[in-house]
Amino acid sequence: MRVLIVDDEKLARDRLRELLMEIGNHVIVGEGRNGNEAVERTIELNPDVILMDIRMPTMDGLEAAMHIMGMENPPSVIFTTAYDQHALDAFELNAVDYLLKPIRKDRLANALSKAHKLTLQQLQQVNEAQDEPMVRSHISVHMRGNIRLVPVKDIIYFMADSKYVTIRTAGEEHLIEDSLVNLEKEFGEKMFLRIHRNALVSTDHIKGIEKTPAGTWQVGLRDFDKKLDVSRRHVSSVRRWARR
Amino acid sequence: MGLNTERLRAATTEGLARARAYFYPGLEDEADDGGFLPDFCNGLTLLNVVVIAEMLAIVVTLVTRRISANMFEDLFLISIFVQWIALSSAAAMCGLRKYLNRLPNLRAFGMAYLLLLCITWVVGEAAVWILWLFGKTASPHPEWYAYFHIQNLSVAAIVVALALRYLMARQQLRRRTQSEARAKAQALRARLRPHFLFNSMNIIASLTRSAPTKAEAAIEDMADLFRMMLGDDENLVPVKNEIALARKYLSLEALRLDNRLNVDWDVGKVPLRAIMPILTLQPLLENAIQHGIEPLPAGGTIGVRLWEENDNICIRVTNPTPDGAPKPKKTGPSTLDDIRQRLVSHYGDSAKLVIIEDSGRFTVTVTLPMRGGNP
Repeated sequence: MRVLIVDDEKLARDRLRELLMEIGNHVIVGEGRNGNEAVERTIELNPDVILMDIRMPTMDGLEAAMHIMGMENPPSVIFTTAYDQHALDAFELNAVDYLLKPIRKDRLANALSKAHKLTLQQLQQVNEAQDEPMVRSHISVHMRGNIRLVPVKDIIYFMADSKYVTIRTAGEEHLIEDSLVNLEKEFGEKMFLRIHRNALVSTDHIKGIEKTPAGTWQVGLRDFDKKLDVSRRHVSSVRRWARR
Repeated sequence: MGLNTERLRAATTEGLARARAYFYPGLEDEADDGGFLPDFCNGLTLLNVVVIAEMLAIVVTLVTRRISANMFEDLFLISIFVQWIALSSAAAMCGLRKYLNRLPNLRAFGMAYLLLLCITWVVGEAAVWILWLFGKTASPHPEWYAYFHIQNLSVAAIVVALALRYLMARQQLRRRTQSEARAKAQALRARLRPHFLFNSMNIIASLTRSAPTKAEAAIEDMADLFRMMLGDDENLVPVKNEIALARKYLSLEALRLDNRLNVDWDVGKVPLRAIMPILTLQPLLENAIQHGIEPLPAGGTIGVRLWEENDNICIRVTNPTPDGAPKPKKTGPSTLDDIRQRLVSHYGDSAKLVIIEDSGRFTVTVTLPMRGGNP
């Protein structure tokens, strides 16, 4: 099998590499040091299976796996972890493959021989079982069969259409299939503020709120020269946020 | 050589499996369904019931009869009667235990109490009837009928209350010991940080192949570190010991984090023989690594400075703060809260822990009154 190794610790990657060589029959196509690299290498190298650490900087393994599941014909994922009690229980419960560190050769060989594809649902259930469920650091955008990652902190607003949600960053615009309700639930009021039935705005990108001559309210944005309407229903919550 | 590393690796993994079992304790007492009533269907409990009932029968006989040749006959009859009540009660408790233990303790206590008194009354009534059937009394309601029941119920009221109170106290004691043990295990787990332990073991397993000498050094550092952590945290140690421990900890983290971790030490102006509470510096470094280095893909530099100022020992640890990265998970009190609490227990109000966060760096400064070892 073609294997991609993802772990932020170099010696942990070395160990997997050595064990894989001893087991034989497998080709190591590449290595990654965090979730972002896992997604990039997967697109680039098209592995059959990914050995993925859970705790990694910038994007953790669980989130990376979720993004990867959105690809066409995604690889299998086997998680490696040192100690995450709640995640482990959830792995067992949802039949997600995982290996405990220090990794044993026989377990690794066994896991590779029966690695199977995950579903997004399994991963979501694992995430919900965590003490504090992970909030995505990136949104994956589908482009011609592949995905691209847009950092959540670059997003200025989400705008709902009849069927899609538009993501607006300083330089680009993308369509994703999701609902504002879900996005609002995930990112909450800390990062995004609902200003309209169809608009969720990044609080970091709000420059100010102002009243129009017509008596309605608008939100001014940083990095993007456009004003967004605040619906009458959300005026009080937006003003409450602004006063904080 | 090949065989040795092979064995070493196997031993490390084996030891780890045991440590892991320690960190995932199973249910300690599966029969404990939360109530205070023990399992009366259990042979040992039943034996206890029989022995206690027999002792009660002997006490009753000794108190109510003069010592004579007939006394044993009386004891025999009284024993049968008391055992009858006791075993019926045990049978009833055995059947109803599941239901009673689901109730709040006081309700279960009340229900069990009333039930046992009822059993006493029913058995007493049955005894009178049997005596009548065998022609020992003239009527099913002899003149001593009322006294008999009053006597039985009074004795039962006292004995049953004592027995249930004892069972309740026993359960409370067991609960307390269990929760104390659990709290201790939790505190230890927090200090040992299983995530660090298992990751380091994985790294050491990797090093046993590529660099056995490094692996050896890492195991030695780890042993020292864990010996300190398992020790009494009330201990005071010379500053130089605490610095040595911190260096060992950092060298283990450096293995794991590779070139992502840089440390800038400045300990030139601290009296090395002054004493301080053990494990003050190391948790500060651990906190800095966890929140300042691990979340950064390229890592960063941790600054460690110890110096003396106005008869105080000052410790300052700084780390970069990752911007826009997900906030550190907060479960329970943070490492810093923990250190603050320990400082209060050692020094009262005279020690300080100050946190400053600005321009991308997070700085913690701890000030301790100087004690002992002045040069």
